[in-house]
Amino acid sequence: MSEQQPSREPNSSSSADDVTHFGFRNVPKSQKASQVADVFHSVAGKYDLMNDLMSMGIHRLWKRFTIELSGVRKGHQVLDIAGGTGDLTMKFSDLVGPTGRVVLADINASMLQVGRGRLVDRGYAGNIEYVQADAEHLPFPDNNFNAVSIAFGLRNVTDKDQALRDMTRVLKPGGKLMVLEFSKPANPLLSKAYDAYSFSALPLMGQLIAGDSSSYKYLAESIRMHPDQETLKGMMEAAGLVNCKYFNMTGGVVALHVGIKP
Amino acid sequence: MFPGPTLMAAVTAVLERGLNRALSLDPAGRKALMAALNGPVQFSIEAPLNLTLALVPADSRIQVVGQPPESPALELAGRPMAFAALATGDDQVFTQGRIRVTGDMGLAHQFQRAIDQLDPDWEAALADYLGDVPAHFLGQRLRGAVKWSRQAFRSLNANVEEYIHEESRSLPGRRELEATFEDIDQVSLQVERLEARVRQIEPVATGSSEATERKGPESW
Repeated sequence: MSEQQPSREPNSSSSADDVTHFGFRNVPKSQKASQVADVFHSVAGKYDLMNDLMSMGIHRLWKRFTIELSGVRKGHQVLDIAGGTGDLTMKFSDLVGPTGRVVLADINASMLQVGRGRLVDRGYAGNIEYVQADAEHLPFPDNNFNAVSIAFGLRNVTDKDQALRDMTRVLKPGGKLMVLEFSKPANPLLSKAYDAYSFSALPLMGQLIAGDSSSYKYLAESIRMHPDQETLKGMMEAAGLVNCKYFNMTGGVVALHVGIKP
Repeated sequence: MFPGPTLMAAVTAVLERGLNRALSLDPAGRKALMAALNGPVQFSIEAPLNLTLALVPADSRIQVVGQPPESPALELAGRPMAFAALATGDDQVFTQGRIRVTGDMGLAHQFQRAIDQLDPDWEAALADYLGDVPAHFLGQRLRGAVKWSRQAFRSLNANVEEYIHEESRSLPGRRELEATFEDIDQVSLQVERLEARVRQIEPVATGSSEATERKGPESW
């Protein structure tokens, strides 16, 4: 949903500090943001359709569970980072009501434009703000939000640790950070089937529907390079969050990590 | 937790869609339910399901969530059959303790009344797809069938009851039973009174016999 600025990556395979991964390839950090940006500029128009096709509609259930677990209620301030086409923002907007506020942030202008158009078309206005922002350097004061969510965006962030620290910074004490992201399936059989599906079917679907197979090849590769459940949980704890836990969904294909700012 | 987050989210999505669709067919009922729902209402369904669901007001819709809310306005806990009875308008579930209420009992009754008074206009929903005339035709037939089956059920019930009590004499009749219970109550009361009377005169009788023993035979 989003792409982020280049920075330090813990799993970077290069010995040089200025190299990070882009899918299975290593690229200079200064180039990752623009390469990820190209991916999302390319897919923005067909993003929702592709999400429905690739996940067979299940991404709606993953997002629904995230909303249920958020505990967001009337009057809350919510930040939806890498909010893309606004699936979560729409639900948050209903929950916070006219006295609350939802900020839809995405670093990619195309995604933000598609998201804003979609929300306005559906009559969502009044309690939503649109901000083009980088997850590693959020333009918000400290202790500002009751909940922060990032759905399918963290794996595109160059320096995930910095992003988690900044998300924690903008949370109010007691606020909740929710990270919904692809993860590692627990079952080896499911893992094999999932690999076969993502490396053959996804690029093919991308080519047929969005006319772009390389972006969906990147999607599959970036998922494999993303930290697994336990690693991400450790990263959230290192960022200063407490009571960190994760919920595996669809056998671990996706995991929702939740942490509280003390 | 119930099968898993993904399946649970599917269940709540289906429930939420169904509930909001039904409410949209009864604007007055929806208004009453939204008024009763001034905070999250949590349902803890116990064995054999062990499922927690909550209704949360969200804008003009009701959100169904599978997670316990942080501060529910009302918490109802009980078995699935008790909730089914509540949904069909049986308000005895609270007094009989089949559903345990934590929170405002008045709100629980208001909520139960709002559910009981819901009367979605299914014919209007059908008319959107079939047109007014076929929908009304179907609606009339359906209402007739429901009315007939209710009447048939009531008369079958009465006939079976009459056969058991009056013809086969397998069980005593209601009035006969009531008279017997009344007699039993009377006997029980009389026994209690007698017991109390005996208890009352017992110390007197015991006291006089002791006094007689102390005085000895010369007092005679």
